[in-house]
Amino acid sequence: MNRLRHLFNVYGAVLAAVPKFYTAYRAWVWMEFVVQILAMVVLYFFWQAVYASGGALGGLTFQQTINYVMLAQMLMPLVENRLIFNFGWMLREGQIAIDLLRPMDFQARLYVDAVGNLFLNLLVKAPLLIMAVVFFQVQLPRDVTTWLVFIVALALGHAVMFFFDWIFSCLAFYSTETWGLSVVRVAVVTFFSGAIVPLQMMPHWLQTTANLLPFAQSVYVPVSFLSGVTPSSAAAQAWLIQLAWLIGLGVISRLVFRRSLRKITVQGG
Amino acid sequence: MLRRYTSLYWFFLIQRFKILMEYRLNFFIGLTSTIFLQAAGLLGIWVIVSQVPDLNGWTLDQVLLIYGLLTLAKSINHMFADNLWVIGWGYVRPGGFDRFLVRPINPLFHLLADRFCHDGLGNFLVGAALVIVSSINLHLVWTPLNLLYLIVVVISGGVIFIALNLITATSAFWIIESIPVTQIVFNTHEFARFPLTIYPKAIQLFLTILIPYGFASYYPATQILGRDPGLLAWLPPFVALVLAVFSYRVWLFGLKHYGGTGS
Amino acid sequence: MSIIHVQDLSKVYRIVEKDPGLAGSFKALFRPRYKDILAVDRISFTIEPGELVGYIGVNGAGKSTTIKMLTGILLPSGGAVRVLERDPYQQRVPNARDIGVVFGQRSQLWWDLPLIESLNFIQRIYEIPPASFKRRLDEFAETLELKALFGTPIRNLSLGQKMRAELAATLIHDPQVVYLDEPTIGLDLLVKERIREFIKAQNRQRNVTVILTTHDLGDIEEICQRVIMIDAGRIIYDGPLSLIKARFGKFREITLETASPIGLFALPTGAEIVQQADQRLTLRFDRTVTTASQVAAAIMNQLEVADFSLAEPDLASIVKQIYSGALHA
Ligand SMILES: Nc1ncnc2c1ncn2[C@@H]1O[C@H](COP(=O)(O)OP(=O)(O)OP(=O)(O)O)[C@@H](O)[C@H]1O
Ligand SMILES: [Mg+2]
Repeated sequence: MNRLRHLFNVYGAVLAAVPKFYTAYRAWVWMEFVVQILAMVVLYFFWQAVYASGGALGGLTFQQTINYVMLAQMLMPLVENRLIFNFGWMLREGQIAIDLLRPMDFQARLYVDAVGNLFLNLLVKAPLLIMAVVFFQVQLPRDVTTWLVFIVALALGHAVMFFFDWIFSCLAFYSTETWGLSVVRVAVVTFFSGAIVPLQMMPHWLQTTANLLPFAQSVYVPVSFLSGVTPSSAAAQAWLIQLAWLIGLGVISRLVFRRSLRKITVQGG
Repeated sequence: MLRRYTSLYWFFLIQRFKILMEYRLNFFIGLTSTIFLQAAGLLGIWVIVSQVPDLNGWTLDQVLLIYGLLTLAKSINHMFADNLWVIGWGYVRPGGFDRFLVRPINPLFHLLADRFCHDGLGNFLVGAALVIVSSINLHLVWTPLNLLYLIVVVISGGVIFIALNLITATSAFWIIESIPVTQIVFNTHEFARFPLTIYPKAIQLFLTILIPYGFASYYPATQILGRDPGLLAWLPPFVALVLAVFSYRVWLFGLKHYGGTGS
Repeated sequence: MSIIHVQDLSKVYRIVEKDPGLAGSFKALFRPRYKDILAVDRISFTIEPGELVGYIGVNGAGKSTTIKMLTGILLPSGGAVRVLERDPYQQRVPNARDIGVVFGQRSQLWWDLPLIESLNFIQRIYEIPPASFKRRLDEFAETLELKALFGTPIRNLSLGQKMRAELAATLIHDPQVVYLDEPTIGLDLLVKERIREFIKAQNRQRNVTVILTTHDLGDIEEICQRVIMIDAGRIIYDGPLSLIKARFGKFREITLETASPIGLFALPTGAEIVQQADQRLTLRFDRTVTTASQVAAAIMNQLEVADFSLAEPDLASIVKQIYSGALHA
C-alpha cells in the first residue's frame, strides 16, 4: 500500500510537470490549433473532390473517409515522438547518469511522461474535435462501446509506438546524427501509420508493408474504430494483435536499451 | 549597387558552403530529409488520385504539375530566406541583430545572406522532378517561350513566399517569437497544392487576393496546360512585385520600431 | 572641432506590463498598460578626436543604451547626437563605415571558419582596398599576436584569443571612432593587459577616438584620461580620472592571512579594522596618509603573515559615493 502511494506520488510529480511546459509555449499551442484547422479545410475539400468523381475508394464511403482522415489528423502527435532528442540531449549533457540514478524505473518514468503528453495533446485537440463535427460533418459514434474500444486501442497503440521509439532512440547511443534519423522516421511513420491515407486505400504492396510494420497499430487501428471503418465487434482481435506487438517490442526495447547502456559505461560517457 | 550586392551574395554563399563542408554529413542529411518528408505527402496524393479518373477535372499528372510548381517556389524561399523564420530568437533576442545595424550594408540583405539554407535544395529537386515527370507524361512541349514563362513564374512564386514570410517575420520586432505567426500564414500554401477549383469561391478569392499563393502554382499551371488560362495567369510577376514592395515597407516599419525599442 | 556631440540625449523604453496568464496576455494585447523606463536622461557631452573616454556606471545605468544611440542602432527619444557631423540613426550606413563596435558578449566572427575568413568577409563588406587591408593584417599579426591564429576556426580559440580576433575585426577598416562595450569581460589579467596596450597604441598611432564601457576600473586607469560616469541615466561625473581617484579611490583594503591565531597587535597609522577573524584580518587605509607596503610591513613586524591581498576600491562604491553628492562636498 505504501509502495503504491509512493509510486503515485513520484509519477504524479512527473505528470504534473507536463502542463507547466505547455503554458510556457502557449503561442505554439495556438499556432498548432490554427495550422490544424487549415489542414482540415484542405483535407475536406480535397476528399470531396476525390469522391466527386464517384466510387467508394477501398470500400469506404465519403462519410467514413472524412471521419477517418480528420480524426487521424488529430492523432498525428502519436507520430511525432521526441524521445530520440531526449536521449541525444541526455547523453550529450551527461544527464542520463542522473536520470538512471533516480529511484524509479527510467523507462517507466518516460512512459508516464509520454502518456501525460498524449493526454494533454488530446485535451488541446478537444475544441478541434467539436469543430470537426460542426463544420466538417464528422460523425462520432454515439455508443459507449465504440468509445471504449477506441480508448483501449489508442492506449495500446500509443504504447506500441512508445516501445518502437524506445528502440529507435537507442540509435542516439551510437550516432550523433539523431536529427536526420528522426526526420526519416517521421516520414516513414506518417505514411505507414495510416495518418494520411487509410490502409484500405493503399495498393496491395503498400498495404502489406504497412501490416508488417508496427506503425499502423498507433493511428490506423484506433482511428478506424472511432470513424466507423472497423466495427467494434472486431475489437478483441485487434487488441490481441496490438498486445502482441506491445509485448514483443517491449521486451526488445529493454534488451536493446541494456545493451546500449553498456556502450556508455564502457566508454565512460 | 546591384553588382556590389550580387558579388557580396556570392561571397556569403561561398563562406556558407565552407561552413557546410565542415559538417559534410549534416549537409547530406539536410538535403535528403526534405526529400523524405515530401515523399510521404506525395505518396499519399499519388495513392489517392491515381485511383480516381480525375480530381475536379484535373488528372494526376496535372495535379502533380501544380504541386511541383508550388514546391519549386517554396524551395526558393527555403534556400534564400530561411533566416526569416529565426529572426526573433536567433537574432533579435540574443542581440545579434545590432551587428547588422552597424555594418555598412542593408540589414535585410545581411539577414537573408547570412544563411543560405541547403535543405531547400532537397525541395528544389523534388519540385523539379515533379515538373519534369508530369510534363513528360502530359507530353508538354517546352518551347523557349514556355520555358521563360516557367522560370518567371517560379521566381515570382518564390518572391511571393518570401514576401509573405517577410511580413510575418517582421512581427519579431514586437513579439520576438514570430515563428507561430509565420507558420500560420505560411501553412496556407498547402491549399495551393491542389487546383483551386476544388475549394469554394471564398477560399479561391482568399488565395488570389489576400494570401496569393494561388499565383505560385494554380494560375501558372492553367497557362502551362493551356486550360482556359485568362488574365490571372499573366499576373504572377506583378503580384510578386507588388507584394515585395509592400513587404519591404512593412519591414522598414518594423525596423523603425526596433530603433525605438531595441527589444 | 569635436568628433562626437551629444546634447540633452534621452532614451525612454516603453514596455507593456502584462498580468500573468492567458487573460493577462489578452488584456495586454487589446488594452496595453505601458510603463516607461527612462534609461538615459538628458545627457550632454562632447568628445574630441583622439580622446580615450571611459564610460562607466553600475549595471543598468544606461551605458549600453547610450552606445546604441551613438552607433545608430537606437533612435533617441529626445535630444541630439552627432558623430562625425552626421546623425548616426538617419545616416546609418555612412556612419557605419567610419565606426567600429565591439559588443563584449557577442562575437561578429564566424564560429566555424578560420579567423582569416571572417576578416576577408569584413574586407568585402567595408570595401577595404586590398593594399591597406594587407597592411592592417600584417600590423595586427604583430601587435595582437594573431599570426598563428589566422588559420584557426573561431570555435577553437580561447576567450582571450577570441577577443584579440574581435578587436582586429573591429579595427581592420580603419574606423575613426571605436565603441567598446565591455571588451575585457571574463578575461584574465595578462590578456587584459595586452588588450589595453593595443587600444592605447591604436590611439597613439592613428588618433582613433575610443569610447569604452567597463566594470573594470583597471581598464579605465590604464587607458582613459577622461571618465564619464552615469547613474540611473544621468551623467554624474565628467572629467579626468585623476580627480576621482584622488577623492574616492582614497581608501583601500588589505586582507592578511596569518599562520597562527591573531593575538594583540598595534594598528598601523592611517589604518582601521574592517573585519577580524581567527587568522584573517582586513584593514582599510587612507592612501594619502600611508601606503600598502607600510601597512603590510607594520603588521608583519608583529604577526606571522602567511599571505595578503590588496583590494581595489570597487567602482560601484565610488559611483555611489559620487552620486550621494560626495564629490561636491
Ligand atoms: N530593450 C529594452 N527594453 C526595455 N528596457 C531596456 C531595454 N534595454 C535596456 N533597458 C533598460 O534600460 C536601463 C539601462 O540599460 P543599459 O543596458 O543601457 O544598462 P548598462 O549600463 O549597459 O548596464 P550593464 O552594465 O548591465 O550592461 C536598464 O534599466 C534596462 O533594464
Ligand atoms: Mg551594458
